[in-house]
Amino acid sequence: MKQTKHKLLSFAYTLEASRRYKSIKTFVYNLIENDSYPYKKYFDFFMIMVILTSVTLLVIDVKHHIPPWLDHLDLYLVTSVFITEYIARFWVYSDMHKIIIEEYEESFYFEQEVSVFRVFLKILKNKWGYISSFSAIIDLIAILPSYRGLRVLRILVLFRAFKMLRYTKSLTGFLFVLKNKKFELITLLSLSGFFIFIAGIMLYVFEGDNDNPNINNLFDAFYWALITISTVGYGDIAPITPEGRVVTMLIILTGIGLISFVTSIIVSSFSERLSVLREGRVIQDVGKKKNITVVCGYGLLGRLVCSGLVKEGVEFVVIDKDEHLAQQAYNNGYHSICADASQGDIFRELGINERISHVLCLTSDDIQNAFIAVNIKSLNEKVYVTARCSDDEIAQKMEFAHVDHVIMPEEIAGMMGAVYAGEPVAFEVLLSIIEEKGKTQIDEIQITKDSFLDNTKVGDIDFEKLKIIMLGVFRDTDSKNLGKFNFNPDNDFVLESGDNLVCIGYISAIANLKSRM
Amino acid sequence: MQKNILLFGYGSFGKQLYKNLSKLGHNIKVVTSLEESENSIEDGIPITKINIKRNEDILSLGINEKSDMLYCSMNKTANNLFLVLTLRALFPKANIIAISNSFENTRKLEYAGANSVIDLYEATSRRIVNILTKPAVTRALDEIVYNQNDLKMAEILLPKNSPVDGKFVREIEFKAMGVILIAIIDKELGHELVFTDHRINHKLDCGDTLVVVAKDNDLEKFKRYIFE
Repeated sequence: MKQTKHKLLSFAYTLEASRRYKSIKTFVYNLIENDSYPYKKYFDFFMIMVILTSVTLLVIDVKHHIPPWLDHLDLYLVTSVFITEYIARFWVYSDMHKIIIEEYEESFYFEQEVSVFRVFLKILKNKWGYISSFSAIIDLIAILPSYRGLRVLRILVLFRAFKMLRYTKSLTGFLFVLKNKKFELITLLSLSGFFIFIAGIMLYVFEGDNDNPNINNLFDAFYWALITISTVGYGDIAPITPEGRVVTMLIILTGIGLISFVTSIIVSSFSERLSVLREGRVIQDVGKKKNITVVCGYGLLGRLVCSGLVKEGVEFVVIDKDEHLAQQAYNNGYHSICADASQGDIFRELGINERISHVLCLTSDDIQNAFIAVNIKSLNEKVYVTARCSDDEIAQKMEFAHVDHVIMPEEIAGMMGAVYAGEPVAFEVLLSIIEEKGKTQIDEIQITKDSFLDNTKVGDIDFEKLKIIMLGVFRDTDSKNLGKFNFNPDNDFVLESGDNLVCIGYISAIANLKSRM
Repeated sequence: MQKNILLFGYGSFGKQLYKNLSKLGHNIKVVTSLEESENSIEDGIPITKINIKRNEDILSLGINEKSDMLYCSMNKTANNLFLVLTLRALFPKANIIAISNSFENTRKLEYAGANSVIDLYEATSRRIVNILTKPAVTRALDEIVYNQNDLKMAEILLPKNSPVDGKFVREIEFKAMGVILIAIIDKELGHELVFTDHRINHKLDCGDTLVVVAKDNDLEKFKRYIFE
């Protein structure tokens, strides 16, 4: 006994220490459970194909008997795929060895003997969570048709079709919606069950004793009640006595009420949930990308920034607290989520530690912007935060909170207005450069290794021919910070790879230079 | 060149305008409408309060439409638009600059008669996008435009008999003087602003305007060179 315990424990510790075991488990988990894992869709596709094949075989088998080898294929291959999947899900649901270790460490702490039975019970309890889950039950039922002894079991192949729900996100969404209205639906279902019960019994009492040749037993009566209450009304069983007809009239009336009730509940729950479903989709889409920018606030400024980002090809997500604004962003074709950006949840869902590189706080409220900025920085210090602000004092506080860039629209406008007063021509130049309206623009070009500008003296470069004005060079740029700005460098300044040239020029001239890098 | 400036509105835009304009040493008179908040009192700036709906009030400000610049920076767009409309009706030749907060309003303000409209968010949104996509450009603009360093952009109207008079652009050693010429208005070619990236070899005459970027002291030197 003691030896088994010892073996169990050392096995658990070996697993805990094994890198290989962990990486395999993570891989399997990602493949079957993690929606943001890129290869999961191939797995899903494969499973759907397997299911469709097995359902198709079932249908063909009805009239044309399929050859035995196909039946065997269905029996062994499909079943083994399903069983493997079931076991894999069971496996990755939780870590058994961790439970063993935990239990051991706990009893060691209390100086008690480890009871193998208790450990076993605990593991069972834990895994029972998986076994008793809705989808696991369906999975299990889908395996059953492989048992050929009972013909009825064949129909359970259709449960394999149910299994498809698992592999398509939108279908899961549908179930999710229904789950949300569980209480209302159950109430209505039990109510209609009650009516069917009463009406069925009444009809049986009135017409069951040979008055009506179609009603032979209680089942016929219940069948009739359901067909009537659901307003389907086949008419294969119809009441013939006046009492039976009175019962019919009554349940038809309640039937109409019930049906419209159920419909309205499902519809309303869908419209309530539609945005949530959509946002789930957004988060899923974003999960496949890297370097995401989050735009918080879709007001005047937010809109302009978004259209600018689209032009530059930056991937971004819009977050706004206001439902209408979030909807507007969605209508404009952006990824949008209606959420409170000053809370951590939404950023965690979007993957603040892995995917988000920049956050722009652009709401019209300074305090709100500061709130969002602090929220981001407290979640992940490395995310580059740009915040809009219209007050000098709040700007100082934002800088204190390590906001990387504080932007003041009023200051920019004020500065430009001041330039206009003294130097209207310079203002025009500025406006055209800043707003990028004209064909002449300012841009940056990074010098790549061994390109024609690498190791070249500024004096030797024919800027006239390139049709470009060079303002200056940033040197010693690393991944986080730009280096020193060398304005108008001398003729014997030697350019190196990694330098960033800031140039003014025609769009095509700049594009030409970039293409040569 | 000191200018007489009337600044209408002292909200968040007006404040920033005042700050930047007074830094350049212009003569500023602040005018607000009666209902606007009183925060200028804290800043200790003399302020004239008028009812912008009444023509007499505006006329009583004694505006000289030839020399005064009128900045309209009311916080409420509707008020601003109304003000531009009124000023234009009263002073057909005045130089009116308005601040707008959207492309939509820019169109309306221009229609109402503003000579120049500064779009508050257009410039800001470009800047935000640039922070993400062109960090070097952002830094360079910060240093040149937003005066974070001694770099400056300036325009120079060429006087008579300057040393560059009659010379071609290529003949002048801008680089040696630490100056970058980025745009020019060549009177012989009309009043249009031309960027110099095309390298047209302009002939400089009196009355042409040069737009240059340079360090403060180089700019001073260059100006002295031109004007002596």
